[in-house]
Amino acid sequence: MNGRVGNDIDEHDIEEVTLVARGIVAAVAPETGLTDVQAELLQAIAAALTGYHVDYLALEPLAPADLADVLAARDLAYRQRIVHHMVLGELVLRPIPVVVAHRVAKYAEALGVHDNFVRVARRYAQGAYGLAWMDLARSGFVEHVQNADGASPTAPKQSPIAPSDVNPELAAKWQAFAELPHDTLGFQVWDMYDSRGFEFPGAPGGPPVGLAQHDFVHVLADYGTNLRGEVEVFALIGRADPDPKGFAWLATLIGLFETGYITSSGFFDRDVRDPVIQAPGMHIRVADGIRRGKVIWQRCDMDLFDFEYHEHAARPVDEVREIVGVPPKSEAALAAGSAALDSFEGMSETQRRVMQQRRGGGG
Amino acid sequence: MNRNFTQAMSVKCSDPAKMEQLIELLRQWDHDQAQADIMGYMGIRILADRETPDEYLILADFGVVDPDVSAADEAARNNERPETQETARRMRELLDDDPVYRHYDWLYLTDD
Repeated sequence: MNGRVGNDIDEHDIEEVTLVARGIVAAVAPETGLTDVQAELLQAIAAALTGYHVDYLALEPLAPADLADVLAARDLAYRQRIVHHMVLGELVLRPIPVVVAHRVAKYAEALGVHDNFVRVARRYAQGAYGLAWMDLARSGFVEHVQNADGASPTAPKQSPIAPSDVNPELAAKWQAFAELPHDTLGFQVWDMYDSRGFEFPGAPGGPPVGLAQHDFVHVLADYGTNLRGEVEVFALIGRADPDPKGFAWLATLIGLFETGYITSSGFFDRDVRDPVIQAPGMHIRVADGIRRGKVIWQRCDMDLFDFEYHEHAARPVDEVREIVGVPPKSEAALAAGSAALDSFEGMSETQRRVMQQRRGGGG
Repeated sequence: MNRNFTQAMSVKCSDPAKMEQLIELLRQWDHDQAQADIMGYMGIRILADRETPDEYLILADFGVVDPDVSAADEAARNNERPETQETARRMRELLDDDPVYRHYDWLYLTDD
């Protein structure tokens, strides 16, 4: 890949892409040099978003002030997302060296970006995991889920990501999706729940209604429901959010499923038995999720947690994809193993077992 | 290894209601710190003495966030902040006596 090659990539200047890459590498490289995981992930993201392959392991460092010059004409949101790529490069490290976290803060400062995720990474580096979690939770998804739940973000609420109260009417509404034609969004999301044995929102043990919004994205984006699929879906959702704070989703999932910085988010628990980002091809799949999220942001410009999926539940999935602006997966992501929602590869062991019991097959 | 630092406060509080208030005060402190600019403060532990009722040990941990500033220096800077002084004042109001302070550098941690 070299330059704009389709997949809805914006046109970029290779010189700027390279200079930004040099700045990112200089910010996040440990004293022993950029790790392979960092290089693969950052390189894949740059390729997915710009169309250019840059060898991140062969770059000269670029000082904070010089990076600031390169990005001087870019708006704050753009510069903030560059900083988020730096933070992502930090979050895959365990431990995060204090010197790296401190250096990233200096780069953010030079870019005029005051960002909570830079602070979260510094807390991880320091070992202040409790404070980091409080900070991260308040910096991103708590507000998302509160809003999606229809509540005021300022209204006092014990825990918006705790399991919902039992609500038979709500559960019945989800169950009713089973009666819709099989190609509809509603039926597909019902089938996802039913085939895997997931409880519906409103049923005992069901997810918070706000969080359940992301399950419609599993259908629209055709991502699996195992940990790798969850990371893909939240990479997409986070980048689709017009507000850069959407980055909290990906930051949280990496903390839960890759580095273990987070014990429990209230809706997912830590599981680092099989590293996700380091799994073969995952750097490409995550990068493609970010790319697809960016395209959705450009077409739809709304937080996917705020979309009224229920109003579109009776429409064919493809029609809703058009409305939201969901682009297809890239060939690179498919080649890297990005699993479809209905494939066994996109399910956890438990989900596969339930699927076999309920459907007698799959894949 | 970045050497962490702990400030230990031995305190006595014979009123259970005030002890609840003290815990709430420090819980609020944590929430405020989580939203504040980064500094060395890492977190707090409140331990109850099983042998001596009403006596407690409060451990405030500090770590390195700037390679050029030690955790102990971060703690000293923290002590000078107005919000720290105010929280310490409110804390003293809930205690039977003034706290007894001791200061420790970490030499070994199982996790390291």
